[in-house]
Amino acid sequence: MALTVLVIDDEAPIRLLCRVNLEAEGASVLEADNGLAGIEVARQERPDAILLDVMMPGMDGWTVAQELLEDEATRRIPIIFLTARADVRDRARGLGAGGLDYITKPFNPVELADLVGGVVDAVQRGEREELRAEKLSELRDLLGTT
Amino acid sequence: MSHHSRVILLEVVPLFVLAALYLGVSLALAPELLRRRERFSWLGLGMWLVFILIGTIAALAGGERLSNDEFLSTLSPWVVSALALLALVPGAIFVWRWKERHLLVSAGPRVDKAEREASESRRDAESISRLSTALSRAGSGREAANRLFDELESVLEVTKAMIATVDEEAGVAAGYAARGIDETWWRTVVLDLETARSGVVAVARERTPLVVFDVKTSPQVNQELATRVGAHSAAFVPLLADGRVTAVLAVASEKPRLFTPSETELMQDLANETALALGHASSRDALEEALERERVISEIGRRVRSELDLDAVLNVAVTEVGMALDLSRAFIRLGDSGDDAPVRAEWVAPGVETIGNAAGRLPVSTLASRERRTVVIRDILVAPDLDDPSLGGRDSLVELGTRAVIATPILVFDRIIGIFALHRAEASVWSPHDVSVAEAVAREIGIAVHTAQLLQQNERRLQEQAALLKAGQVLTSDLRFSSVIQRLVTEVVQLLRADAADCWVYDERRTMLRCEAVLGVPERNVGREIVPEGTFEHVLSTGRALLKRDFARTESPTPTEDYRVFAEVMDAPITWLGEVRGVLGVCAREHGHFDEKDLELLDTFARLASLALHNAESFGERERQAQVQRGFYRIAEVLGSTLSLGETLDALAQAACDALGGSSALVLEPSGERLRLTGAHELRAELREAFAQGLPGDVSSLRTAAEENRILSSPSLERDDRFEESLRELLADQGYRSLISAPVLGAEGQKHAVLVLFREERKFSDDDLALARHLTGAARGALERAELFEGERRAHTFSQRLADIGGLLATKLDPAAAFEEVVREAPVLLDADSAVLRLIENDDLVVRAAWGPGTQGIRNMRSSSAGGAVGIAAQSRAPLAVSDARETPRFGHEDPLLANGMVSCVAVPMVIHGGGLSGVLTVYDSEVRTWREDEVQALSALAATASAVFSSAELYQRVAEEKERSEAILANIADGIVAVDRDGDIVLWNATAEQISGVPAAEALGRRVSKVLQRDLAAGEGATPGERTLSIQRGDKEVWLSVSEAVMLDAAGAVAGRVFAFRDVSSERVVEQMKSDFVATVSHELRTPLTSIYGFAETLMRGDVEFSDPERKTFLGYIASESERLINIVDDLLSVARVETGTLRLTIEEIDVGALAGEVVARAQEHADRWELELDLPAAGVVVEADREKLFQVLLNLVDNAVKFSPDGGRISISARRRAESAEVRIADEGIGIPRADQQRIFSKFFRAEGTGPGVEGTGLGLFLARGLLLAMGGRIWVESKEGRGSTFVFELPAAASGVVEEAPEKVTA
Repeated sequence: MALTVLVIDDEAPIRLLCRVNLEAEGASVLEADNGLAGIEVARQERPDAILLDVMMPGMDGWTVAQELLEDEATRRIPIIFLTARADVRDRARGLGAGGLDYITKPFNPVELADLVGGVVDAVQRGEREELRAEKLSELRDLLGTT
Repeated sequence: MSHHSRVILLEVVPLFVLAALYLGVSLALAPELLRRRERFSWLGLGMWLVFILIGTIAALAGGERLSNDEFLSTLSPWVVSALALLALVPGAIFVWRWKERHLLVSAGPRVDKAEREASESRRDAESISRLSTALSRAGSGREAANRLFDELESVLEVTKAMIATVDEEAGVAAGYAARGIDETWWRTVVLDLETARSGVVAVARERTPLVVFDVKTSPQVNQELATRVGAHSAAFVPLLADGRVTAVLAVASEKPRLFTPSETELMQDLANETALALGHASSRDALEEALERERVISEIGRRVRSELDLDAVLNVAVTEVGMALDLSRAFIRLGDSGDDAPVRAEWVAPGVETIGNAAGRLPVSTLASRERRTVVIRDILVAPDLDDPSLGGRDSLVELGTRAVIATPILVFDRIIGIFALHRAEASVWSPHDVSVAEAVAREIGIAVHTAQLLQQNERRLQEQAALLKAGQVLTSDLRFSSVIQRLVTEVVQLLRADAADCWVYDERRTMLRCEAVLGVPERNVGREIVPEGTFEHVLSTGRALLKRDFARTESPTPTEDYRVFAEVMDAPITWLGEVRGVLGVCAREHGHFDEKDLELLDTFARLASLALHNAESFGERERQAQVQRGFYRIAEVLGSTLSLGETLDALAQAACDALGGSSALVLEPSGERLRLTGAHELRAELREAFAQGLPGDVSSLRTAAEENRILSSPSLERDDRFEESLRELLADQGYRSLISAPVLGAEGQKHAVLVLFREERKFSDDDLALARHLTGAARGALERAELFEGERRAHTFSQRLADIGGLLATKLDPAAAFEEVVREAPVLLDADSAVLRLIENDDLVVRAAWGPGTQGIRNMRSSSAGGAVGIAAQSRAPLAVSDARETPRFGHEDPLLANGMVSCVAVPMVIHGGGLSGVLTVYDSEVRTWREDEVQALSALAATASAVFSSAELYQRVAEEKERSEAILANIADGIVAVDRDGDIVLWNATAEQISGVPAAEALGRRVSKVLQRDLAAGEGATPGERTLSIQRGDKEVWLSVSEAVMLDAAGAVAGRVFAFRDVSSERVVEQMKSDFVATVSHELRTPLTSIYGFAETLMRGDVEFSDPERKTFLGYIASESERLINIVDDLLSVARVETGTLRLTIEEIDVGALAGEVVARAQEHADRWELELDLPAAGVVVEADREKLFQVLLNLVDNAVKFSPDGGRISISARRRAESAEVRIADEGIGIPRADQQRIFSKFFRAEGTGPGVEGTGLGLFLARGLLLAMGGRIWVESKEGRGSTFVFELPAAASGVVEEAPEKVTA
């Protein structure tokens, strides 16, 4: 089954990077270079997952995630943050904002497809909350250690 | 005249007249002829026939002559006429002698005589027979007399006839009936058979008829009567019955006439015939007369009785009798004394004088009164009864024109009450009828007078009773003594129509009469007191009412001078239970105003008044008892409610006043020589003041009475020498006249005297004394209760006061101020005059505080701690109370206050914690005073408080100094310090806290932190201690605080408060935030190109995907450009570090700004195709002295910023201009602009303008770096911007000294 992944990022190289590697794994990729456009695409195309950058001109990633989660049409689409903000607090914020995973830049794009596929599978299995709990638990472990 | 007429006139008429005459006579004679046919005469018949013949011829001739002209025509008419007249003569003569016709037709005088004689005898017989028949039908004597007169007239042609009755027993003859003369007069004629000269009398005596031809010459005839009758001749015939002359008939003729014997005989026969009838008739007459009399009497009686008014009765009686008996006068005198009884009613005939003032000289009625019998006098001139000179003689009667009198006494129950008298102007015989009428009417009058008197009496009695009843109602309608007594005099004046009245009350003890009320006498008499004398004395001693006539003259002395105007006075005793209580009097200005009845009435009224007064007194008594009861209730009320002593004493005064009916009352307590006013009721201020200052003069009597528990009463203060003159004057000035004092014992045996004052002099009854004693008993309970209450209250007051003072002192940190307070409060506490506080200093007592009289200049005075009362208290460490220091002279030597006016004192030691003595507190009073235990205790408590204050004040002082120091430190400390108490209320808020929070201490203190700062500073339970950072709002600005907290615990371990210390870390925090943001941003800025580099490298290294060449080229291109981007970032970071450390290395050269800007634009344009980049340079170019790389870096940063902050695209222009020594470069965009507030800060490190948002990339170092580089190159930078309108960044650099190229500006548009 081919996944459709929406990549929302203002940096063209990174969108390209994602596309190349996801498509290499058989997924189809949609792109948006800012938040508003991303939301529009998400509503229309109903992708299976969204890779969302945080620091974008205009609407930032946090807000985009909030909008998507408030919209019935896009509420169920799993969101994976993809950001250069590596701070643990940002991670927490991302999970708090409804993200199911949080990928910090720089990242290995080869692993991207697997990661997205895992999340989508878990969500499709109805393990969305379990996944979030797991990620939050990881985060707590991370916080505890720092 | 015609012939025919002449014939008729001269012939026919005479002939017919002739015929008529003769035929008429013939016809007239015809009955005569017929009547006298027995004595027929031819002559007579012949003559009659001749007459008829002549008449017939004449008639025929006349008729013929009338119808036949020829007849007798030969004869001259005058002849015929003459013949006719001639023939008329004999007939006329016959008619002329018509009366003697019978002579003509009869037989002549002889025959007549014979006939006459025969007829006379026959006439007599007929006459007697006729009279007899008439008499038998006559109903009365008078009628019989009239029949006789008829007969006499018809037979004897007598026109004047009279009958007089003869009363042989009375010896008189009296006119009875008459005809032809005035019968009324005749009936009044009375002739004495013995003495009178009269034909009647003579015939009565002789019993034979008497004929008198000429009365004037007759000695036997009464000339007077004869003249009156008008007689010339007369005849008197006796009327005999049973051989007695019962009456005499007299006939008279005006002309001389000789009554023949036959006539006399006839008269005698007729008289005899009449006498019998007259006898019968007389009897009947007598009966009728008696009946008539009864009728008259009953009629008068009826009319008399029909009148109710006595005067009307009397008037009716005199009028009726006067008219009925044909009197000249009738009158009634009333009065038991006949001599001078006044005439009450009189009737007189018309033209008769009234009695007038001759009333006192009426002898006949006086005689009747004296002899109690009816006196009948026919003629006063001859009445021997009137010879008595004491009767007053006849003259008065003569003057009144009276001749005949009847006087009969009017009797009521055998008592003569008056005389009824009848007068006639002529002497006359009073018939029994008259006398009977007079007596009967007199009886009627008696009854009427009696009835009227009874009625009058009844009426008056009714009036009196009604008046008494009304007065009684009026008197009993009011119950107050004063009103009753005033009404008494008002009513008695009305009742007795008096001019004045008064009421006096008798004081038996003092034998004085006191005037209580007057009316008609000046009011000034009310209240006067007199010793009873004269009438009063008489009334009081006898207990009977007295009428004093001729008062003004005989009463000596009159009660007061105002009574001299009265003519009569009646006084009646007012008695109750057999005791005379007073006198009620009425006065009249006129003599004869009062009578015995009035006296009785007054007496009765006085009895009524006694009752009313007694009622009023009873009422007064009851009211007073009610007042007493109210007084007791009042006391009970007092007992029931716990009152203060003062109120109780006032209530006691009121109760005493109410109970005894006094005007004012006061309660006094002996205090030394004086009496102290402790309670009062209705007491005027003046008196209150006088008593407050102590009673004037000698009060020993009052004091002694109170001390000996005695009641003291003074019914009349004015005369009571037990009291000092000045006291009496004082009380008299205030209008008090009497007093009573009752002792009352207080709970602690204080002897009070309750003094009730009265405005009037007053006799104190046993009731009053009993009441006073009762009051004494009843009040004691109340006083005991009040004293208890007072004690409690005092204790309460003391403790309250002490607590207050303690509170007050606690606020005094300065011991000196505290001591001042103590000496001020101590006298107030004990109601004393002064207080002195001495402290032990070097074994001496030094005055440290003093207040009150006598304390001037004693401050700091030293005294031995061993001497005087104060020394004793200090040595013994125990209170010392001195009631009267004068008893211990050395006290005075040791103590300046006791030496100068103060008399009593109490000294208490001030013992400090641990038993040490700190000083002595002494209170002084200028009066002798027994210090109560509770007072001493209260003062001790105050001293203890003062000691404590002394100790704590010192401590406080030290603490205060410490506190001041702390406060100074706190005030100057850089941190904000806030302390809250256990309740969380702020107790400390230092200056720094004010600065940081913007809230002044005044606003913060006492409030809660959460209210002041809108958030709490406390960490809350379980929080880790240490510094915390939190934000508060200062105005609209967020202020970050770094807070540390200290919890203060009290001895019990409970939180007693918290102290917060905080610093404003807002600026530090901003820097921190910027740093944090910077790190994140730099991290992001570094990671983003790294991601591309690393990602594309990994991608290229994927073995599973085969990329095309263009792909690979693209990937590698990204790796290269992102690497360059990474290098630029690192360069910037390095430059910043160098700028900051000053280790920036510059290579200054001449640089053409235009060329460099062109490179920058070209470079920027690669990433910014939405923006229009424009270059505006002068043609000559602008050459500056700068480091080329650094300038490039600056320009690139500025252009990048312009792009970054113009999200909607637009024009970005770069212009450069040459100035004198410098060049100016402007980079202008049309972007979002920069708020004015941020325009300075944008050049600081890490600053990223608000609204930039996290989405805008950049390290935030660009402008900082640009500024730093420009400064390093000798230039400067600033910004010109308006929010929303774009920004223009301008920098200057030193211009290159050479190479000023003047060229036209070259516009480069990408």
